Amino acid sequence: MGELLYLYACVPSKEMTTLPDLTGFDGEGKLHTIQAGAITAVICSLNAEDYNEDVLKDKVENDMQWLQEKAFHHHETVLALSKLYTVIPLKFSTIYKSEDSLKQTLTENGSKMNDIFDLLTGNEEWNLKIYCDDQMLKEQISKSNPVIEQKRQEISQLSKGKQFFELKKLDKLVETELEEEKNRVSERVHEALKKLVLKGNVKRTWSSEVTGADKKMTWNSVYLISKEDVERFLEEVQSYDQEMKETGWQLEASGPWPAYHFSSFQT
Amino acid sequence: MSLRDDLENKEIALIDILDVILDKGVAIKADLIISIAGIDLVYLDLRLLVASVESLVQAQAEGKTVTSAQFDMQKEALIDATGQSEKRND
Repeated sequence: MGELLYLYACVPSKEMTTLPDLTGFDGEGKLHTIQAGAITAVICSLNAEDYNEDVLKDKVENDMQWLQEKAFHHHETVLALSKLYTVIPLKFSTIYKSEDSLKQTLTENGSKMNDIFDLLTGNEEWNLKIYCDDQMLKEQISKSNPVIEQKRQEISQLSKGKQFFELKKLDKLVETELEEEKNRVSERVHEALKKLVLKGNVKRTWSSEVTGADKKMTWNSVYLISKEDVERFLEEVQSYDQEMKETGWQLEASGPWPAYHFSSFQT
Repeated sequence: MSLRDDLENKEIALIDILDVILDKGVAIKADLIISIAGIDLVYLDLRLLVASVESLVQAQAEGKTVTSAQFDMQKEALIDATGQSEKRND
């Protein structure tokens, strides 16, 4: 039976050195490379019988433990490569049936990949998450917002029955103000940080149930940063974090990531 | 130690890893690409897996069995929860 080629990442051929000893997707084989001109693919071989389309589909849909384990493997492998080379990280389970087929794809996309390498060389991807304590922020808004303060005054003059409904309305207003304030503050931080980076993108946020964190995620963004500016960027994040801590905010940077968010190109 | 070194060794959440490798990794022409439905759902399943193993162990310890109704309730709660994140510009 033949073999399949699992592609982890593409690396500029001129940067390639001897590949470190890394274990492949099946937990047995080793990683190796295939070169097509300026692009070198980092791959591992898989037994075509054990890893055909039906098997993989079944695993991905029905065996979450397997998926979790292989997802970690894929990530850790690409991360290890990104410490050594400029890498274009591929999507999980990008597989070729022959060396020719892989080489053809590399050749077809060679010039676009070279452009991406130019963009990524010497730079790192970092992630920023901003969390906030909704309750704390709500209290601040209730106190400091003149519109809300005035409304509160007006309501206190009403009869008890009317007060109940008016207070409910006021709660809604505070909720809306809260969301707006969260976005305003996060955006201000994001815009300020963007001055230190090459590129910055806003992502969607995870809900608390997904993160397992008590605080609400209000912002999730990624940045492509020149290596020499990373420390300054992180210092800036830290100083925002310390400055805003007392008002219920928390900033968390993570990285360096393989440049997942800045490597895509049109095929 | 620099801030960078500090952060480099920090543990990363599974959801962030799934997000990048399943959703953000570069997609190029391949002979075999296993597409995966929304990562929220994948993550949900993983959380359920962990949760169900935990409650099973707990139930066994207490001499109880987990009813499928309880399981469905957990699942619904999680679906509601993950359906809420809407901000998406990337």
